[in-house]
Amino acid sequence: MNASVWAGTKLVLAKEFRQGIRFKAAWAAMLMFALTTLSCVSLALQGAALSPKLAAALLWVILFFASMVGADRVFLDEEAAGTLLALRVYGGSQPVLFGKMLYTYLVLLAMGLFILPLFLMLLAENVADPLLLLLTTALGLLGVAAAGTLVAALTIGSAVHGGLFSILMLPVILPVFLPAISLTAGALGGEAGSLSYLGGLALYDMILMVGASLLFDYLWYEE
Amino acid sequence: MLAVLVVLTLAVMGAVFFAVPPAEGLGYYVRIAFFHIPVAWAAVLAFLVSAFFGAKYLKEPKDLYDRYSANSAGLGLVFVILATLSGAVFSKLTWGAYWNWDPRQTTIFVLLLIYGAYLNLRAAMPDKQRRARVSAVYALLSFLTVPFLVFIIPRLYFSLHPSPVINGSGHIDMDPVMLWTLIAALADMTGIYCYLLRRLVKKAGSGQESEAFHE
Repeated sequence: MNASVWAGTKLVLAKEFRQGIRFKAAWAAMLMFALTTLSCVSLALQGAALSPKLAAALLWVILFFASMVGADRVFLDEEAAGTLLALRVYGGSQPVLFGKMLYTYLVLLAMGLFILPLFLMLLAENVADPLLLLLTTALGLLGVAAAGTLVAALTIGSAVHGGLFSILMLPVILPVFLPAISLTAGALGGEAGSLSYLGGLALYDMILMVGASLLFDYLWYEE
Repeated sequence: MLAVLVVLTLAVMGAVFFAVPPAEGLGYYVRIAFFHIPVAWAAVLAFLVSAFFGAKYLKEPKDLYDRYSANSAGLGLVFVILATLSGAVFSKLTWGAYWNWDPRQTTIFVLLLIYGAYLNLRAAMPDKQRRARVSAVYALLSFLTVPFLVFIIPRLYFSLHPSPVINGSGHIDMDPVMLWTLIAALADMTGIYCYLLRRLVKKAGSGQESEAFHE
Protein backbone atom coordinates (compact mmCIF):
# COMPACT_ATOMS: atom_id res chain seq x y z
CA MET A 1 0.00 0.00 0.00
CA ASN A 2 1.61 3.30 -0.97
CA ALA A 3 1.68 6.47 1.13
CA SER A 4 -1.19 8.31 -0.55
CA VAL A 5 -3.54 5.32 -0.28
CA TRP A 6 -2.69 5.01 3.41
CA ALA A 7 -3.27 8.74 3.98
CA GLY A 8 -6.63 8.48 2.18
CA THR A 9 -7.54 5.37 4.15
CA LYS A 10 -6.93 7.24 7.41
CA LEU A 11 -9.14 10.11 6.22
CA VAL A 12 -11.98 7.75 5.30
CA LEU A 13 -11.58 5.94 8.64
CA ALA A 14 -11.75 9.24 10.53
CA LYS A 15 -14.86 10.20 8.55
CA GLU A 16 -16.48 6.87 9.40
CA PHE A 17 -15.75 7.34 13.09
CA ARG A 18 -17.17 10.85 13.07
CA GLN A 19 -20.28 9.56 11.34
CA GLY A 20 -20.50 6.66 13.78
CA ILE A 21 -20.42 9.04 16.72
CA ARG A 22 -23.07 11.30 15.20
CA PHE A 23 -25.30 8.49 14.04
CA LYS A 24 -25.21 5.80 16.68
CA ALA A 25 -28.04 3.63 15.39
CA ALA A 26 -25.87 1.52 13.08
CA TRP A 27 -23.48 0.04 15.62
CA ALA A 28 -25.92 0.25 18.52
CA ALA A 29 -28.33 -1.95 16.54
CA MET A 30 -25.54 -4.44 15.94
CA LEU A 31 -24.67 -4.67 19.64
CA MET A 32 -28.31 -5.01 20.63
CA PHE A 33 -28.85 -7.64 17.95
CA ALA A 34 -25.86 -9.63 19.24
CA LEU A 35 -27.22 -9.38 22.77
CA THR A 36 -30.70 -10.40 21.62
CA THR A 37 -29.46 -13.50 19.78
CA LEU A 38 -27.25 -14.45 22.69
CA SER A 39 -30.11 -14.17 25.18
CA CYS A 40 -32.36 -16.06 22.79
CA VAL A 41 -29.90 -18.97 22.69
CA SER A 42 -29.22 -18.85 26.42
CA LEU A 43 -32.90 -18.64 27.40
CA ALA A 44 -33.87 -21.38 24.98
CA LEU A 45 -31.23 -23.72 26.39
CA GLN A 46 -32.44 -23.10 29.97
CA GLY A 47 -29.04 -23.77 31.46
CA ALA A 48 -28.51 -27.08 29.69
CA ALA A 49 -24.84 -28.09 29.45
CA LEU A 50 -23.24 -27.59 26.05
CA SER A 51 -20.46 -29.62 24.52
CA PRO A 52 -17.54 -27.44 23.33
CA LYS A 53 -18.39 -28.19 19.72
CA LEU A 54 -21.99 -27.10 20.12
CA ALA A 55 -20.98 -24.00 22.09
CA ALA A 56 -18.50 -23.05 19.35
CA ALA A 57 -21.14 -23.49 16.66
CA LEU A 58 -23.63 -21.33 18.56
CA LEU A 59 -21.02 -18.63 19.20
CA TRP A 60 -20.26 -18.36 15.50
CA VAL A 61 -23.90 -18.35 14.49
CA ILE A 62 -24.40 -15.42 16.89
CA LEU A 63 -21.28 -13.61 15.62
CA PHE A 64 -22.20 -14.22 11.97
CA PHE A 65 -25.75 -12.93 12.16
CA ALA A 66 -24.85 -10.00 14.41
CA SER A 67 -22.18 -8.92 11.91
CA MET A 68 -24.72 -9.23 9.12
CA VAL A 69 -26.79 -6.57 10.85
CA GLY A 70 -23.98 -4.04 11.08
CA ALA A 71 -21.70 -4.72 8.15
CA ASP A 72 -24.32 -4.31 5.43
CA ARG A 73 -24.77 -0.63 6.23
CA VAL A 74 -21.35 0.75 5.27
CA PHE A 75 -22.54 1.83 1.83
CA LEU A 76 -26.29 1.79 2.29
CA ASP A 77 -26.21 4.61 4.82
CA GLU A 78 -24.20 6.75 2.40
CA GLU A 79 -26.66 5.95 -0.35
CA ALA A 80 -29.62 6.87 1.86
CA ALA A 81 -28.00 10.10 3.01
CA GLY A 82 -27.08 11.03 -0.57
CA THR A 83 -23.37 11.33 0.21
CA LEU A 84 -22.25 8.46 -1.99
CA LEU A 85 -21.71 10.66 -5.03
CA ALA A 86 -19.53 13.10 -3.10
CA LEU A 87 -17.44 10.19 -1.82
CA ARG A 88 -17.12 8.86 -5.37
CA VAL A 89 -15.90 12.25 -6.58
CA TYR A 90 -13.39 12.88 -3.81
CA GLY A 91 -12.32 9.41 -2.71
CA GLY A 92 -10.28 6.97 -4.74
CA SER A 93 -11.48 3.39 -4.75
CA GLN A 94 -8.73 1.88 -2.58
CA PRO A 95 -8.79 4.43 0.28
CA VAL A 96 -12.60 4.16 0.43
CA LEU A 97 -12.50 0.36 0.44
CA PHE A 98 -9.77 0.01 3.05
CA GLY A 99 -11.05 2.88 5.21
CA LYS A 100 -14.48 1.31 5.36
CA MET A 101 -13.07 -2.19 5.80
CA LEU A 102 -10.94 -1.05 8.73
CA TYR A 103 -13.87 0.74 10.32
CA THR A 104 -16.11 -2.30 9.88
CA TYR A 105 -13.41 -4.49 11.37
CA LEU A 106 -13.02 -2.28 14.44
CA VAL A 107 -16.78 -2.20 14.99
CA LEU A 108 -16.99 -5.99 14.59
CA LEU A 109 -14.09 -6.44 17.01
CA ALA A 110 -15.85 -4.24 19.56
CA MET A 111 -18.98 -6.34 19.10
CA GLY A 112 -16.93 -9.54 19.52
CA LEU A 113 -15.28 -8.26 22.68
CA PHE A 114 -18.69 -7.30 24.02
CA ILE A 115 -20.37 -10.61 23.28
CA LEU A 116 -17.51 -13.03 24.06
CA PRO A 117 -17.35 -12.50 27.88
CA LEU A 118 -21.13 -12.64 28.11
CA PHE A 119 -21.20 -15.81 26.05
CA LEU A 120 -18.58 -17.43 28.25
CA MET A 121 -20.40 -16.43 31.42
CA LEU A 122 -23.74 -17.73 30.22
CA LEU A 123 -22.88 -20.76 28.14
CA ALA A 124 -19.29 -21.97 28.37
CA GLU A 125 -17.41 -21.22 31.55
CA ASN A 126 -14.37 -23.37 30.88
CA VAL A 127 -11.91 -21.95 28.42
CA ALA A 128 -8.93 -24.19 27.80
CA ASP A 129 -7.02 -21.76 25.61
CA PRO A 130 -8.08 -18.10 25.87
CA LEU A 131 -5.39 -16.88 23.48
CA LEU A 132 -6.56 -19.25 20.74
CA LEU A 133 -10.14 -18.13 21.30
CA LEU A 134 -9.19 -14.46 20.92
CA LEU A 135 -7.00 -15.07 17.88
CA THR A 136 -9.72 -17.13 16.16
CA THR A 137 -12.33 -14.47 16.83
CA ALA A 138 -10.03 -11.69 15.58
CA LEU A 139 -9.10 -13.57 12.39
CA GLY A 140 -12.65 -14.77 11.75
CA LEU A 141 -14.10 -11.28 12.07
CA LEU A 142 -11.36 -9.90 9.81
CA GLY A 143 -12.62 -12.20 7.06
CA VAL A 144 -16.19 -11.06 7.68
CA ALA A 145 -15.09 -7.40 7.47
CA ALA A 146 -13.09 -7.96 4.26
CA ALA A 147 -15.83 -9.86 2.44
CA GLY A 148 -18.58 -7.75 4.01
CA THR A 149 -17.25 -4.43 2.73
CA LEU A 150 -17.13 -5.69 -0.85
CA VAL A 151 -20.51 -7.41 -0.66
CA ALA A 152 -22.03 -4.27 0.89
CA ALA A 153 -20.76 -2.35 -2.14
CA LEU A 154 -22.42 -4.95 -4.39
CA THR A 155 -25.83 -4.28 -2.89
CA ILE A 156 -25.74 -0.53 -3.65
CA GLY A 157 -28.66 0.22 -5.93
CA SER A 158 -30.53 -3.02 -5.32
CA ALA A 159 -34.29 -2.91 -4.96
CA VAL A 160 -34.32 -5.46 -2.13
CA HIS A 161 -32.18 -5.00 0.94
CA GLY A 162 -33.49 -7.19 3.75
CA GLY A 163 -31.76 -10.53 3.66
CA LEU A 164 -29.85 -10.04 0.42
CA PHE A 165 -26.61 -9.26 2.22
CA SER A 166 -26.69 -12.43 4.34
CA ILE A 167 -27.59 -14.55 1.32
CA LEU A 168 -24.59 -13.20 -0.56
CA MET A 169 -22.25 -13.47 2.42
CA LEU A 170 -22.76 -17.05 3.56
CA PRO A 171 -21.13 -18.90 0.63
CA VAL A 172 -18.20 -16.48 0.60
CA ILE A 173 -17.64 -16.65 4.34
CA LEU A 174 -17.94 -20.45 4.76
CA PRO A 175 -14.15 -20.99 4.49
CA VAL A 176 -13.87 -18.66 7.51
CA PHE A 177 -16.87 -20.01 9.35
CA LEU A 178 -16.07 -23.74 9.31
CA PRO A 179 -12.43 -23.65 10.51
CA ALA A 180 -13.28 -20.92 13.04
CA ILE A 181 -15.87 -23.21 14.64
CA SER A 182 -13.41 -26.07 14.75
CA LEU A 183 -10.69 -23.88 16.32
CA THR A 184 -13.13 -22.36 18.83
CA ALA A 185 -14.25 -25.83 19.88
CA GLY A 186 -10.61 -26.66 20.57
CA ALA A 187 -10.17 -23.45 22.58
CA LEU A 188 -13.24 -24.29 24.66
CA GLY A 189 -11.70 -27.59 25.67
CA GLY A 190 -13.09 -29.85 22.99
CA GLU A 191 -11.18 -32.05 20.63
CA ALA A 192 -8.32 -29.80 19.53
CA GLY A 193 -8.60 -28.89 15.87
CA SER A 194 -5.43 -28.63 13.85
CA LEU A 195 -3.61 -25.36 14.49
CA SER A 196 -2.84 -25.16 10.77
CA TYR A 197 -6.44 -23.94 10.42
CA LEU A 198 -5.27 -20.71 12.04
CA GLY A 199 -2.78 -20.22 9.20
CA GLY A 200 -5.48 -21.16 6.69
CA LEU A 201 -7.83 -18.62 8.23
CA ALA A 202 -5.19 -15.87 7.99
CA LEU A 203 -4.43 -16.87 4.39
CA TYR A 204 -8.08 -16.76 3.40
CA ASP A 205 -8.46 -13.35 5.07
CA MET A 206 -5.55 -12.11 2.96
CA ILE A 207 -7.09 -13.54 -0.21
CA LEU A 208 -10.42 -11.92 0.58
CA MET A 209 -8.69 -8.55 1.11
CA VAL A 210 -6.69 -8.80 -2.11
CA GLY A 211 -9.76 -10.03 -4.02
CA ALA A 212 -11.87 -7.19 -2.62
CA SER A 213 -9.17 -4.69 -3.55
CA LEU A 214 -8.99 -5.97 -7.14
CA LEU A 215 -12.74 -6.23 -7.66
CA PHE A 216 -13.78 -3.03 -5.92
CA ASP A 217 -12.42 -0.81 -8.74
CA TYR A 218 -15.05 -2.26 -11.08
CA LEU A 219 -17.81 -1.23 -8.68
CA TRP A 220 -16.44 2.19 -7.79
CA TYR A 221 -15.58 3.57 -11.20
CA GLU A 222 -18.59 3.29 -13.46
CA GLU A 223 -18.65 4.87 -16.83
CA MET B 1 -26.76 -30.75 -32.92
CA LEU B 2 -30.13 -31.61 -31.41
CA ALA B 3 -30.38 -34.85 -33.39
CA VAL B 4 -26.93 -35.95 -32.24
CA LEU B 5 -27.84 -35.24 -28.62
CA VAL B 6 -31.11 -37.18 -28.86
CA VAL B 7 -29.33 -40.21 -30.35
CA LEU B 8 -26.55 -40.02 -27.76
CA THR B 9 -29.03 -39.70 -24.89
CA LEU B 10 -30.99 -42.71 -26.11
CA ALA B 11 -27.77 -44.69 -26.53
CA VAL B 12 -26.62 -43.81 -23.01
CA MET B 13 -30.01 -44.73 -21.58
CA GLY B 14 -29.98 -48.01 -23.46
CA ALA B 15 -26.51 -48.79 -22.15
CA VAL B 16 -27.44 -47.87 -18.60
CA PHE B 17 -30.53 -50.08 -18.54
CA PHE B 18 -29.39 -53.03 -20.65
CA ALA B 19 -25.59 -53.21 -20.76
CA VAL B 20 -24.18 -51.93 -17.49
CA PRO B 21 -23.60 -54.75 -14.99
CA PRO B 22 -24.74 -54.29 -11.37
CA ALA B 23 -21.96 -52.78 -9.25
CA GLU B 24 -20.43 -54.55 -6.31
CA GLY B 25 -22.25 -53.55 -3.12
CA LEU B 26 -24.56 -51.13 -4.98
CA GLY B 27 -26.43 -53.47 -7.32
CA TYR B 28 -28.59 -51.73 -9.89
CA TYR B 29 -28.67 -48.56 -7.79
CA VAL B 30 -25.50 -47.72 -9.67
CA ARG B 31 -27.73 -46.65 -12.58
CA ILE B 32 -28.45 -43.44 -10.69
CA ALA B 33 -24.75 -42.59 -10.89
CA PHE B 34 -24.96 -42.31 -14.70
CA PHE B 35 -27.38 -39.46 -14.22
CA HIS B 36 -25.95 -38.03 -11.01
CA ILE B 37 -22.28 -37.71 -11.98
CA PRO B 38 -22.98 -35.97 -15.34
CA VAL B 39 -25.43 -33.44 -13.86
CA ALA B 40 -23.02 -32.69 -10.99
CA TRP B 41 -20.27 -32.17 -13.56
CA ALA B 42 -22.51 -29.89 -15.64
CA ALA B 43 -23.34 -27.89 -12.50
CA VAL B 44 -19.64 -27.27 -11.81
CA LEU B 45 -18.94 -26.54 -15.47
CA ALA B 46 -21.77 -24.00 -15.58
CA PHE B 47 -20.25 -22.24 -12.57
CA LEU B 48 -16.82 -22.04 -14.22
CA VAL B 49 -18.35 -20.72 -17.44
CA SER B 50 -20.38 -18.16 -15.52
CA ALA B 51 -17.31 -16.88 -13.63
CA PHE B 52 -15.26 -16.90 -16.85
CA PHE B 53 -17.77 -14.75 -18.73
CA GLY B 54 -18.11 -12.53 -15.65
CA ALA B 55 -14.37 -11.83 -15.84
CA LYS B 56 -14.66 -11.19 -19.57
CA TYR B 57 -17.49 -8.76 -18.97
CA LEU B 58 -15.46 -6.77 -16.44
CA LYS B 59 -12.63 -6.49 -18.95
CA GLU B 60 -14.87 -5.53 -21.80
CA PRO B 61 -18.49 -4.70 -20.91
CA LYS B 62 -20.30 -6.43 -23.76
CA ASP B 63 -23.91 -7.45 -23.33
CA LEU B 64 -23.23 -10.84 -24.86
CA TYR B 65 -20.80 -11.81 -22.07
CA ASP B 66 -23.34 -10.91 -19.42
CA ARG B 67 -25.98 -13.02 -21.17
CA TYR B 68 -23.60 -15.99 -21.20
CA SER B 69 -22.75 -15.51 -17.53
CA ALA B 70 -26.37 -15.11 -16.42
CA ASN B 71 -27.83 -17.95 -18.49
CA SER B 72 -25.04 -20.29 -17.51
CA ALA B 73 -25.84 -19.60 -13.86
CA GLY B 74 -29.53 -20.19 -14.49
CA LEU B 75 -28.80 -23.56 -16.11
CA GLY B 76 -26.30 -24.31 -13.34
CA LEU B 77 -29.03 -23.90 -10.75
CA VAL B 78 -31.18 -26.48 -12.53
CA PHE B 79 -28.27 -28.91 -12.80
CA VAL B 80 -27.21 -28.42 -9.21
CA ILE B 81 -30.76 -29.10 -7.99
CA LEU B 82 -30.90 -32.27 -10.09
CA ALA B 83 -27.50 -33.34 -8.75
CA THR B 84 -28.55 -32.68 -5.16
CA LEU B 85 -31.84 -34.56 -5.52
CA SER B 86 -30.39 -37.55 -7.37
CA GLY B 87 -27.56 -37.66 -4.84
CA ALA B 88 -30.01 -37.58 -1.94
CA VAL B 89 -32.03 -40.46 -3.43
CA PHE B 90 -28.87 -42.49 -4.03
CA SER B 91 -27.72 -41.76 -0.50
CA LYS B 92 -31.07 -42.86 0.97
CA LEU B 93 -30.94 -46.13 -0.98
CA THR B 94 -27.34 -46.96 -0.14
CA TRP B 95 -26.53 -45.28 3.19
CA GLY B 96 -30.02 -45.09 4.66
CA ALA B 97 -30.33 -41.31 4.98
CA TYR B 98 -31.15 -38.58 2.49
CA TRP B 99 -28.68 -36.16 3.94
CA ASN B 100 -25.72 -36.39 6.32
CA TRP B 101 -23.44 -33.47 5.35
CA ASP B 102 -20.98 -35.68 3.61
CA PRO B 103 -18.11 -33.56 2.15
CA ARG B 104 -19.49 -33.84 -1.34
CA GLN B 105 -23.01 -33.11 -0.22
CA THR B 106 -21.63 -30.04 1.53
CA THR B 107 -19.72 -28.87 -1.53
CA ILE B 108 -22.67 -29.32 -3.88
CA PHE B 109 -24.87 -27.54 -1.37
CA VAL B 110 -22.47 -24.58 -1.22
CA LEU B 111 -22.63 -24.46 -5.01
CA LEU B 112 -26.42 -24.39 -4.72
CA LEU B 113 -26.16 -21.49 -2.27
CA ILE B 114 -23.82 -19.60 -4.60
CA TYR B 115 -26.18 -20.02 -7.56
CA GLY B 116 -29.11 -18.96 -5.41
CA ALA B 117 -27.27 -15.89 -4.15
CA TYR B 118 -26.07 -14.94 -7.65
CA LEU B 119 -29.54 -15.16 -9.18
CA ASN B 120 -31.05 -13.36 -6.20
CA LEU B 121 -28.60 -10.52 -6.66
CA ARG B 122 -29.50 -10.25 -10.32
CA ALA B 123 -33.20 -10.23 -9.56
CA ALA B 124 -32.75 -7.47 -6.96
CA MET B 125 -30.83 -5.13 -9.26
CA PRO B 126 -33.09 -2.98 -11.46
CA ASP B 127 -30.40 -1.18 -13.47
CA LYS B 128 -29.20 -3.39 -16.32
CA GLN B 129 -25.57 -2.32 -16.54
CA ARG B 130 -25.08 -2.32 -12.81
CA ARG B 131 -26.71 -5.75 -12.62
CA ALA B 132 -24.23 -7.14 -15.12
CA ARG B 133 -21.24 -5.59 -13.38
CA VAL B 134 -22.28 -6.50 -9.87
CA SER B 135 -23.11 -10.10 -10.70
CA ALA B 136 -19.80 -10.51 -12.53
CA VAL B 137 -17.97 -9.31 -9.41
CA TYR B 138 -19.97 -11.69 -7.23
CA ALA B 139 -19.31 -14.65 -9.53
CA LEU B 140 -15.58 -13.99 -9.26
CA LEU B 141 -15.69 -13.43 -5.50
CA SER B 142 -17.50 -16.70 -4.89
CA PHE B 143 -15.03 -18.38 -7.21
CA LEU B 144 -12.28 -17.50 -4.71
CA THR B 145 -13.86 -19.76 -2.11
CA VAL B 146 -13.70 -22.90 -4.24
CA PRO B 147 -10.09 -24.00 -3.59
CA PHE B 148 -10.52 -23.39 0.14
CA LEU B 149 -13.72 -25.35 0.39
CA VAL B 150 -12.24 -28.22 -1.57
CA PHE B 151 -9.37 -28.25 0.92
CA ILE B 152 -11.26 -27.65 4.18
CA ILE B 153 -14.52 -29.56 3.87
CA PRO B 154 -13.11 -33.08 3.47
CA ARG B 155 -11.10 -32.51 6.65
CA LEU B 156 -14.07 -31.46 8.74
CA TYR B 157 -16.71 -33.94 7.62
CA PHE B 158 -16.48 -37.69 7.49
CA SER B 159 -17.16 -39.17 4.03
CA LEU B 160 -19.06 -42.20 2.81
CA HIS B 161 -19.17 -41.02 -0.81
CA PRO B 162 -17.70 -43.46 -3.34
CA SER B 163 -14.21 -42.30 -4.30
CA PRO B 164 -13.77 -40.59 -7.66
CA VAL B 165 -13.37 -42.70 -10.76
CA ILE B 166 -9.72 -41.77 -11.00
CA ASN B 167 -8.37 -42.11 -7.50
CA GLY B 168 -5.15 -40.87 -5.90
CA SER B 169 -2.97 -43.52 -7.49
CA GLY B 170 -4.19 -42.52 -10.96
CA HIS B 171 -5.50 -46.04 -11.43
CA ILE B 172 -8.91 -46.42 -13.06
CA ASP B 173 -10.91 -48.84 -11.04
CA MET B 174 -14.04 -49.60 -13.02
CA ASP B 175 -15.63 -52.12 -15.32
CA PRO B 176 -14.86 -51.05 -18.95
CA VAL B 177 -18.55 -51.09 -20.00
CA MET B 178 -19.37 -48.88 -17.04
CA LEU B 179 -16.48 -46.55 -17.73
CA TRP B 180 -17.38 -46.02 -21.38
CA THR B 181 -21.03 -45.54 -20.55
CA LEU B 182 -20.03 -42.95 -17.97
CA ILE B 183 -17.77 -41.14 -20.42
CA ALA B 184 -20.58 -41.11 -22.99
CA ALA B 185 -23.04 -39.85 -20.37
CA LEU B 186 -20.63 -37.06 -19.40
CA ALA B 187 -20.15 -36.04 -23.02
CA ASP B 188 -23.92 -36.17 -23.55
CA MET B 189 -24.65 -33.94 -20.55
CA THR B 190 -21.93 -31.48 -21.56
CA GLY B 191 -23.50 -31.35 -25.02
CA ILE B 192 -26.96 -30.78 -23.54
CA TYR B 193 -25.59 -27.97 -21.40
CA CYS B 194 -23.83 -26.28 -24.35
CA TYR B 195 -26.92 -26.64 -26.54
CA LEU B 196 -29.25 -25.15 -23.93
CA LEU B 197 -26.83 -22.35 -23.10
CA ARG B 198 -26.50 -21.30 -26.73
CA ARG B 199 -30.24 -21.38 -27.21
CA LEU B 200 -30.93 -19.35 -24.09
CA VAL B 201 -28.28 -16.76 -24.94
CA LYS B 202 -29.65 -16.44 -28.46
CA LYS B 203 -33.20 -16.09 -27.20
CA ALA B 204 -32.22 -13.46 -24.60
CA GLY B 205 -30.31 -11.59 -27.31
CA SER B 206 -33.20 -11.53 -29.79
CA GLY B 207 -35.56 -10.42 -27.01
CA GLN B 208 -33.28 -7.51 -26.27
CA GLU B 209 -33.01 -6.48 -29.91
CA SER B 210 -36.77 -6.35 -30.33
CA GLU B 211 -36.98 -4.37 -27.08
CA ALA B 212 -34.50 -1.85 -28.47
CA PHE B 213 -36.46 -1.74 -31.73
CA HIS B 214 -39.69 -0.88 -29.91
CA GLU B 215 -37.97 1.87 -27.96
